[in-house]
Amino acid sequence: MIVMDRGRIGLVVLMAVLMAGCAQETKITRVDSGVVTDLSGRWNDTDSRMVAESMVKEALEYPWLNTFSGSKHRQPVVVVGTILNSSHEHIDVNTFVADLERELTNSQKVTFVAGKGDREELRTERKEQAMYAREDTQKAPGKEIGADYMMKGTIATILDEAEGTKAMFYQIDLQMVDLESNAKVWFGQKKIKKVIEKKRTIF
Amino acid sequence: MMAGMLLTGCGPSANRYFLIESSLRAHDPQGADVIVQRAEKDYGEKSRVLYGMDRGMTLQLAGDYQQSNMVLEQAEEEVDRLYTRKVRTETLAFMTNDTALPYEGDPYEQVLINVLKALNYAVLSQWQDALVEARRIDHRLNVLSDKTKDKNAYRDDGFARYLSGILYESTGDVNNAFIAYRNAYETFESTRAWSHTGVPPQLRTDLLRTAEALHFTQEFAEYQQVFPDTKWETSEALQHLAQVVVISYNGRAPRKEDQFLDLPISLDALQLVLLNRGFSQANRQSNRAVDSVLYGLNGRVVRVALPRLVPQKTHVPVDTVSLIQENGTRVTLNTELVQSVTALADKALSERMAGITVKALARAATKFALAEGATRGAQHAAGKDAAPWVGLLVGLLTKGLAVVSEEADKRSWQTLPDEIHLARVWVPPGRYQVANQPISGPHDPLKPEVMRTLSLGPGETAVLIQRVMP
Repeated sequence: MIVMDRGRIGLVVLMAVLMAGCAQETKITRVDSGVVTDLSGRWNDTDSRMVAESMVKEALEYPWLNTFSGSKHRQPVVVVGTILNSSHEHIDVNTFVADLERELTNSQKVTFVAGKGDREELRTERKEQAMYAREDTQKAPGKEIGADYMMKGTIATILDEAEGTKAMFYQIDLQMVDLESNAKVWFGQKKIKKVIEKKRTIF
Repeated sequence: MMAGMLLTGCGPSANRYFLIESSLRAHDPQGADVIVQRAEKDYGEKSRVLYGMDRGMTLQLAGDYQQSNMVLEQAEEEVDRLYTRKVRTETLAFMTNDTALPYEGDPYEQVLINVLKALNYAVLSQWQDALVEARRIDHRLNVLSDKTKDKNAYRDDGFARYLSGILYESTGDVNNAFIAYRNAYETFESTRAWSHTGVPPQLRTDLLRTAEALHFTQEFAEYQQVFPDTKWETSEALQHLAQVVVISYNGRAPRKEDQFLDLPISLDALQLVLLNRGFSQANRQSNRAVDSVLYGLNGRVVRVALPRLVPQKTHVPVDTVSLIQENGTRVTLNTELVQSVTALADKALSERMAGITVKALARAATKFALAEGATRGAQHAAGKDAAPWVGLLVGLLTKGLAVVSEEADKRSWQTLPDEIHLARVWVPPGRYQVANQPISGPHDPLKPEVMRTLSLGPGETAVLIQRVMP
């Protein structure tokens, strides 16, 4: 009897192991774009948005803005320069730059002009207008607004890992540089630390 | 059904790699890529990482660097996910064979995923992204060396470090380049015994140049003492020149095959094994069905399958590339060995062999006990009259199944080359035609001279990748 039981148990175990776990389905839920979704631990939309919001807010609270407005009697003109990715991830810097540009523009405290890539496209368009558009609708060259300040910075990471636990430390440095004097009028820093734990075994 | 499940998947892969190699030999990397792409389903869920590796390589050779990066990124993410082992999968593999486990690649293969991606980005001149891969390589190797206590094991990678240095230096980060070169040098030195790769002569000049540029006088003096005959040029002298880096994949990576050990557990069984070995070769696929019936009938033979590495050495010791300027000036580069993939595969397998063997023996014992239990259970259930023939039938089925289901995990990144070679040269800016010298003499119809054009500005770097088949 014991022998028979062992045989049956063996077969049942085998079948259970072979049949288990084929059912998986895709589930989609719509969430608000403001909801924090930390899935893999990598740099994500939430990081990009939160950093841009808080740093631009901080940048515009500092005295350089009032000093400029007071002496020149107009809003300063700002352009976003290079944001260098020196992290461990292929971060789409353009998304972050777009977030910064949006925050700067919407603040209504600075005049924001198009960055290098956009300018090329606009100039090409003006050249084409000069050739093909009706004269009274053509936009003349040489009327661009020169920026007073450039915002540039870096996204860097320090990564530490052991036994399936990863500590990812992001440091985002942004600075506002006076384009005439190269003086740095503002220096902002934002730090994010994430701990990503992976289990070694699951059932 | 179960036998069908267990027997699938060893035959087609050998055929697939044969076809891929034929396409590469005929200078048709696009064709090779189509073969891998069409075989996606054959790789199966358990070999997603392997598919990504194989496809990443063929896509790179076919010149589709963006797509190559995409599949390699997916493979890397999958490797990360596989850190968590599923008890269910491990149990299934224990009851059948290791091919039921998801393939996560050997550590050197995982590093090579990042190396290939870095090269793809470099060819595309996306230097910041190439540097992301250099940082990932550094991180991966740091974690590996923390985890691997044995100083003689694969715990760092000379070539991956060296390539990282080249990427850093190409973007003007001389300090990080020097650190990477130094790590590469130390790794080449410490792994020389088993990696069959010495310090590449080019690396010596790179160390001297960067140490001097950083005014690291002590390190510079030390390296000058170690390489007294090395001729090198200062960073200043190279500043207005353009750089060409050639990566040459030579030959075919080793493959793995089954090595069967039939362990008799009675005197009768020993005689049977000896007699059977007299007639047939255990490692041949066609003989395995015969073996399983014979050993199933005897019921006292357990089979253990272990993987064995079969090197496929390249016959190309040095590859030569010529750069021809518009005025006819010709610069000839000889590539240097920077990585022996065969040596890495050999090392990886030998490091894992003890574990594989213990597991295979435990599996064989479990399969035998289960088969024995099933046979006796069936005999008991069949009653007195039918017991002998039911027992024979069930024994033949279960023990035969135990023998036939035994198979070693022979998966490996087989679209890799046998060796990776590298050449690095600085040339005056301008337009160049790139010509690969015929390696097997001018009469080889399969190797026409491939011409490409390069346009290089001062301070720019161009990375060229080529595959040389034996």
